[in-house]
Amino acid sequence: MSGDAESHVGRHVPALSSTLRPRPVDELREWGGAELVRGKRVLDLGCGDGRFALGVAAFASTVEGLDPDAEAIAAAKKAARKSGVRNVRFAVGAAQRLPYPDGALDVVILSWTL
Amino acid sequence: MVDALREVHRVLAPRGIVIDARPDSRVLAYAERRKVRGFQRFGEVKTSSVELASDRASDRAIARVVRERLFRRRRHGRFWHRVPFESLADLRHYLWEHLRFVHRASWVVDVAMRKRYANEEFVIRRAVRYEILETKRR
Repeated sequence: MSGDAESHVGRHVPALSSTLRPRPVDELREWGGAELVRGKRVLDLGCGDGRFALGVAAFASTVEGLDPDAEAIAAAKKAARKSGVRNVRFAVGAAQRLPYPDGALDVVILSWTL
Repeated sequence: MVDALREVHRVLAPRGIVIDARPDSRVLAYAERRKVRGFQRFGEVKTSSVELASDRASDRAIARVVRERLFRRRRHGRFWHRVPFESLADLRHYLWEHLRFVHRASWVVDVAMRKRYANEEFVIRRAVRYEILETKRR
């Protein structure tokens, strides 16, 4: 296990515990492949540190990442800047009141969220 | 959760999809020793009662929005995922602090065996389930 993941095991901080999950590309493959999100407007609801949102950004048209944890969203924005991904936006928000108009998205991903 | 799923339905375009993926608490997780080829089962790990209740609540929420005809079930499945640890002590530490699982594994090998391989690499192998839902016409 990598040093980062090991040092954060069991802390229950979403942004960090996501490192113990399957890689986004692996999870996407299990669900049916990149075709599910290719060219689509995607929302990663409960995105945490943005790991999954950034992982599918290469396939999607746009990716929105939403999470109630401001700290996690700050980490996600930082990761997006670092990776140079331009079609991903992150915001703090709650699932009960999504800040998007009706019919604005094609795919909503609840990866370890519900 | 039902409120959130109704919101998801609102923001989705016609025939949009929801992918719900989470650990599958309906099956056990396993503590395994990594061998040169393959893995050796050392123990079984149950999901904590709190998380079991939470998973059931999520299942009920999904069932409800399907009953409300907001979504239809398109496909579902399960795959296995391994969380690696450098030693048995690391695995135990993870279980002790992690909320999802019970804090102790039920070992299927004896103490001598656990001591013998304590410093080798271990994994927790757990199931992840997913379900793909499609929005129905408004």
